[in-house]
Amino acid sequence: MRTPPKLSVIVPFYNEQDSIGPLHAAIVAAVAPLQIPFEMVFVDDGSKDATLARAVELARTDPRVRVVKFRRNYGQTAAMAAGIEYARGEVLITMDGDLQNDPADIEEFLRKIDAGYDVVVGWRHQRQDKLVSRKIPSIIANWLIGKVTGIAIKDNGCSLKAYRASVIKNIPLYSEMHRFIPAMASIAGTRIAEVKVRHHARQFGASKYGLSRIYKVLLDLMVIKTLTSFAARPLLWFGFLAMPLLIAGLSVLGYAVTTSLLHGEATSLPIAGSGVIFLTSAFILICSGAFGELVYHLSGMREHQFARLTQRIGKRPAAIETQAQ
Amino acid sequence: MTERDPRIKLSVIIPVGKRYANARELYSEYQLGLEPARLAHEFIFVLDGPHPQVMGELEQLIDEGAQDLIIVSLSRPFGESTALMAGLERASGELIVTLPAYHQIDGRDVVKLLAPLESADVAIGWRWPRSGGALERMRRAIFHGMVARVTGMRLHDLGCGARAMKRRVLEELSLYGDQHRLLAVLADRQGFRVAEVELRQSERDRFEGVYRPREYAHLVLDVFTVFFLVRFTKKPLRFFGMIGASMCGLGVLVVLYLIFDRLVFNQSLADRPALLLSSLLVVLGLQLFALGLLAELIIFTHSRHMKDYQATEIVQYPEAGLQQASREPRVGTATLR
Repeated sequence: MRTPPKLSVIVPFYNEQDSIGPLHAAIVAAVAPLQIPFEMVFVDDGSKDATLARAVELARTDPRVRVVKFRRNYGQTAAMAAGIEYARGEVLITMDGDLQNDPADIEEFLRKIDAGYDVVVGWRHQRQDKLVSRKIPSIIANWLIGKVTGIAIKDNGCSLKAYRASVIKNIPLYSEMHRFIPAMASIAGTRIAEVKVRHHARQFGASKYGLSRIYKVLLDLMVIKTLTSFAARPLLWFGFLAMPLLIAGLSVLGYAVTTSLLHGEATSLPIAGSGVIFLTSAFILICSGAFGELVYHLSGMREHQFARLTQRIGKRPAAIETQAQ
Repeated sequence: MTERDPRIKLSVIIPVGKRYANARELYSEYQLGLEPARLAHEFIFVLDGPHPQVMGELEQLIDEGAQDLIIVSLSRPFGESTALMAGLERASGELIVTLPAYHQIDGRDVVKLLAPLESADVAIGWRWPRSGGALERMRRAIFHGMVARVTGMRLHDLGCGARAMKRRVLEELSLYGDQHRLLAVLADRQGFRVAEVELRQSERDRFEGVYRPREYAHLVLDVFTVFFLVRFTKKPLRFFGMIGASMCGLGVLVVLYLIFDRLVFNQSLADRPALLLSSLLVVLGLQLFALGLLAELIIFTHSRHMKDYQATEIVQYPEAGLQQASREPRVGTATLR
C-alpha cells in the first residue's frame, strides 16, 4: 500500500478541458518538491466538454489523481463539498480549476497550517479582473460579510484556501455556502489566517459568474448570521428581532390611549389597531423563537461537537508508560 | 424488507387506486406486452385500500396458477406514491416498471419503456397521439409549460402512470404524498437521467366530461410544489425572504407616505385606515422572514443527513506495477446518506 496522503489538493472543474492538463502539471511542479505525500482530487461537476475524459486520462498516468464524477452539474459548493468528503489528506487545499490561482502559493498555506491555523484563506491582492463589474462589488461584499459575521477577511471569493481536514469535514456546507466557508467555519471557532496570493487572468474558457445579485448575498448573510451566532439560541435571536416591534407596538398603543384619555376623545382605531398588530407580531416572533428552540433541541446538533474540532488540551506531558507503547 | 428473489429481473408494480379496470384483462394485456422483453418478471398489484372486486379477480388468477403475481393489500387508501413504495418493498427486480391500473396506454407498448434504460435511469410514458378536445389540450399545454418554466424540463405527460426505472431511483426518491406525478422532475433533480417515451394511448382511456375545479387546484399545487422543491429546499430564506422583504418594503413605503402626508399636509394619522394596512404589511413581511429563518435552522441542523450532490464514481488507478494494470477503475458509488 502506498502511504496515505498528508495533503489533498481539491479542484472542482466545470467545462475546463483546456485548463486541467496545465493545472495538474503546475500542482505537481509546486508540491512534489515539498517532499510530502499528496493527492489531487479532481471533481468533475458534470462538464459537457472533454474535462472528465482528460481527468481520467491524468488519473491513468498519475496514481495520485483521484477523480470524483458527478452525475450532473450541481454547482461549486457541492463540488467543493464532494472534494472535501473524498479527500484523504490531513490538510486540504481547494483551488479554482481555471488557472487563476497559482499552485506555487501552496507552500505558504502549508506553513500557516503548520503554525497552528485551521483555515488559511487567500487574498488576491493584485486581482486581474474588471474593476467595476467584479472588483467593486467584491470589496463591498467582503466588507459586509466582515461586518455581519465578525470574520473580517479581505477576499472571501478567493478559492485558494487551506483547511485542517478534521475541522472542515465537520462543518456543514450546502446550498451556496462556498462563498462563506470561513464564516461558516467560524461556528467551530476556527483560527483563520490570510495569505497574499498571486492571481492570473483567465487563460481559457469563459468566466462563470457575472455580477451576482445583491439580494441573494444579503439574504445569505442573514442566514450565516443566524446560523453562526444564534443557531443554538434561537429564542434569544427572535427575541432580538421582536424587540423593535414590541417597542413600536407599546409606544403606539400608549400614545393612542393617552391622547384619548387626555382629550376625552374616542381612541383612534387605525392608531390603536396598528399598535395591537405590532404587539401581536412581536408575540408571534417570540413564539417562533420557542419553536426554533424545539427544532434545535430535537435535531441532536450540539455546539460542543463544533468546539471539539478546534479545542486544544493543556495537560502535563504524557507519562513514560504511554511512550513505551 | 423481504428477501429478494434473484431470478426476477423486472418487477411491475400496479397501484390500484380509485380508478381501475378488470384485473384479469389488465394482467394478460401487460403480460403480453412484456413478452418481447424476455426478462423474468413479476407483477405486484398494490391495492390501495380495500378493493374486494379486484382482490377477487387476482385471487382467482393465483388459484389458476399465476406464478408471477403478488398482491399487496393496504388497509386504507394511502395514495399512489405510498402504494408504489409498498410495492417496491416487495419487488425483487433491478428494473421497476409502474403501470396504471386501468387502460391508459396500449398494453403492447409497455416494452418500449425498457429500451431507454440502456442510457437513462428513468423512462416515463407519454401518451401520444392523444385524444381530447381543444380545452383539454390547452390545459395540458399550460400545465406542462409552467413545469418547463420552473424546472427547465420539457415534459409532455406527467399524468401518465406508465414509467420504467432502475430500482435505485425509486429507493432514493422515497416518494410520499402526491409526488408520484412529479417523479420525473424529482429524479432529474437527484441527478438521474430521464427519458420520455411515446406510447400509444389506449382506446379506453377517454375522459369525457369536464374537470372539476378541484383538479385544476391540484395542478396548480403541483406546480407550486415543484417550484418550491426545485428552487428552495436548500435555501428557504431565498423564498420566504423574497416575499417577506417585498411585503415589508411595501408596508414601509406606505408608512412613509402617510408620515409625509401628516407632516406636510397636516393630514391626521388617526383617521387613516391605510395605517392599519401598512402596519399589517410590515408585520406580515417580518413574520414570513422569520419563517424563512426557522426553515434555514431546520436545514442547518439536519444538514449532516443531506447531501446536495451525488457522485457516480470515484476513479483512481492503483500504483503502476504494484497491481495488475487493470483498466477497471476503483468504483465507489456514493449514496444519498
